[in-house]
Amino acid sequence: MTETQARTEPRNALDELPGELLMWVLIVSELLVFGAGLAAFLGVRISDPSGFAEAQDHLHRTGAALNTVVLITSGFLAARAVHLRRNGQRAVARRHLIAAMLLGGIFLWIKGGEFAEKVAQGIGVETHPFFMFYYLLTGFHAAHVAAGIVILGLVAIWDEAHTIEVGAAFWHMVDLVWVLLFPVIYLLA
Amino acid sequence: MKSLTRAWFALILLSGASAANAVMVSRNAVPTIAGVAILLVAWMKTRVILSRYLGLWQAPSWRAGFNGVLGVYCLFLLGLYVVPVLAS
Repeated sequence: MTETQARTEPRNALDELPGELLMWVLIVSELLVFGAGLAAFLGVRISDPSGFAEAQDHLHRTGAALNTVVLITSGFLAARAVHLRRNGQRAVARRHLIAAMLLGGIFLWIKGGEFAEKVAQGIGVETHPFFMFYYLLTGFHAAHVAAGIVILGLVAIWDEAHTIEVGAAFWHMVDLVWVLLFPVIYLLA
Repeated sequence: MKSLTRAWFALILLSGASAANAVMVSRNAVPTIAGVAILLVAWMKTRVILSRYLGLWQAPSWRAGFNGVLGVYCLFLLGLYVVPVLAS
């Protein structure tokens, strides 16, 4: 292909996507899975709105709101790490990734405390359909946070700019899911 | 880098709006209004994350597509949320 041909060749729409295409496939598939779960949650709620509202009152809205701030700040640090590594600031980028991991750990610690409190109150998946969805969706999300922490750790070690970008994209996907999950599970009474 | 900081600040402000919505819910606000406010804030947060954290500002057509689909999805969730209100 000549240089002129290359210049006139129309760009594939997929080429416009920043980062790794496979990561975008993963992001879309995760959004579909959690999206279906949240729709099912609100669909089941139609048959028992008062029971769902009563069950929701057992949740810690403040703790979950705090976790939102923790996660979006962690995402901010991961996004900064990508920019810093591209600018050649390798050590600073690595420190940002470690800080993002620590915030992910705080998220899990708060979430774990919330789960432990529910279990201590005798609230399980069979207590009410609300709690089945609550444990399933927030537990599955927490598993993604744990996986994300491992991924951030790996890209902090193998810290090429492209690798960090892919790891950070996974972390932002976890962020994205949470900002949809939090209001539906914790706020829509 | 400045745009990232602005995005983070916007997300913090939107989280404050979520907290205000939570107060509204606890004070038995009209469910439909509370639902609209809660899902609107959630949708705005997804827009910021997609655009700035995930870098879709570089691909405006993809950004518009994601925003549109998520907007329709939030409307769908709102519909499911208000069904019991409309039925009563």
